[in-house]
Amino acid sequence: MADEHVAAELEHFLAGRADQLLRTATLLAGSREAGQDLLQTALERLLRHWARLDGDPEAYLRRTLYNLATDGFRRQGRLQRKLLLLRAGAQPGSDPAAQVDLRDALVRLLIQLPPRQRAVLVCRYWEQLTEAETADLLGWPPGTVKSAASRGLRRLRDLAGRWQQAELHETGSRGSGR
Amino acid sequence: MSSDVEDLLREGMQRFTDGVRAPAGLAQLAGRRRRRRRIVRGTLAGAAAVATAAAVATAAASTVAQPGSSLAQARAAAYVVSRVKHALAAEHQVFAGRTMSSYSQPSVSWAYGAHNRYEEFTGTQCGHVTASGDCTHQGGSQRYLAAGTALVSGKLTGAYVTYYDHKFSLSAVYAGPASACGKGALLMGGPPVPTQHWSAFIRATLDCGAARVTGHVRVNGQETIQITGKPVTVRLSPGYGKTVHEHYARALWTLYVNPSTYLPVRMIGVTETFGGSGRPTRFQSVTNVRWLPPTPANAARALVTIPPGYHQVSSPAGQ
Repeated sequence: MADEHVAAELEHFLAGRADQLLRTATLLAGSREAGQDLLQTALERLLRHWARLDGDPEAYLRRTLYNLATDGFRRQGRLQRKLLLLRAGAQPGSDPAAQVDLRDALVRLLIQLPPRQRAVLVCRYWEQLTEAETADLLGWPPGTVKSAASRGLRRLRDLAGRWQQAELHETGSRGSGR
Repeated sequence: MSSDVEDLLREGMQRFTDGVRAPAGLAQLAGRRRRRRRIVRGTLAGAAAVATAAAVATAAASTVAQPGSSLAQARAAAYVVSRVKHALAAEHQVFAGRTMSSYSQPSVSWAYGAHNRYEEFTGTQCGHVTASGDCTHQGGSQRYLAAGTALVSGKLTGAYVTYYDHKFSLSAVYAGPASACGKGALLMGGPPVPTQHWSAFIRATLDCGAARVTGHVRVNGQETIQITGKPVTVRLSPGYGKTVHEHYARALWTLYVNPSTYLPVRMIGVTETFGGSGRPTRFQSVTNVRWLPPTPANAARALVTIPPGYHQVSSPAGQ
């Protein structure tokens, strides 16, 4: 009964913010299903601490989301992400008209990054947070945020370069085959 | 990584999450999952542990059920209000509002920094009644007055332009009502909404305190958080009270904010007069708000321009 009451309060708190939180969770986890699972797990933790929570519940929830994501949330999720990548990667070749553009590829490449680097990039480029705000949200030293962002971006650039080369190569093969 | 690719990454994230919508009952589901998990843990730990957990849960229930509700709601309201105030303090966009009210004609408001422009349009019946009792416009909505700020010889000045008689007057810049709970406008039974300085007005109104998050509603197809202020009652000024045969005015405001940006998308103000022998009146105004990028064209719309050939008079009383 009390749980239902607290859940109703939480529902009230979530209304209007759940979409945005689920989008963040989706980016952190790599797919909509995994994102929903991640958000549910964070909500469970929030429920556990709801009655004695002192401060901003959304900040607590967001921090929990990022912590769960960077702690390697559900290791089996990695396999799901790989399957997702394989499925997404197979589409352009099978149907040239449905070729994904670079921005879509960048997000798929983002999902391949280690969780900590991915979390920092989601903070910086999705949540539009500064390095200091990111450090505050994740509870990391600013230097760690800086280095994780730098490594993440470098890795993304390498992956993007390879993706573009592969695309060019594929386009060239198709062109010469005509 | 070039900034182009950073932009592409941002756009890609946007696109990747575009259709993502949270299903209803997310919290209930989390609650059920938590209960299931607790039961599994309890079973593993043995019956004694289950009994202890149940006792603790029951004790916790009795302590959080009632007080927790108002506490959590107050916390959520304080959080939302603080986000709205921050968003308004940090916004550098052009405010574009369109107001419909129960008494006066439709109007539009533009504001950008200290610049603002308010324009009133005629209704379909009668635009403006002149001293002789004639209507300035009939049968269609037309712009008939503008008030706000104008740049005159490079100086920001208060301006009032009436289009139907081609006149204008200049004055000091009008500050407008400080907040919806300020007594200035209410003493005259006026609406608790400004015609200018919207951002500052809404921030001041939120500072009145006692705002509550009263729901989540869709406004123009967009999800919003509804914030309602505590009703404010004032005694009408003696002169106005005598005119309308009422003693009091009560005002209530409601704000609807975008849950992502926390910027207002709609504000409703209601003022009622009552307590006397007159017929109680109810004035309602609904302002729908858009926030536009500060392009030169949008920023220019926040200034009153005086059309060439208009005749200057000493004050709005002459218009």
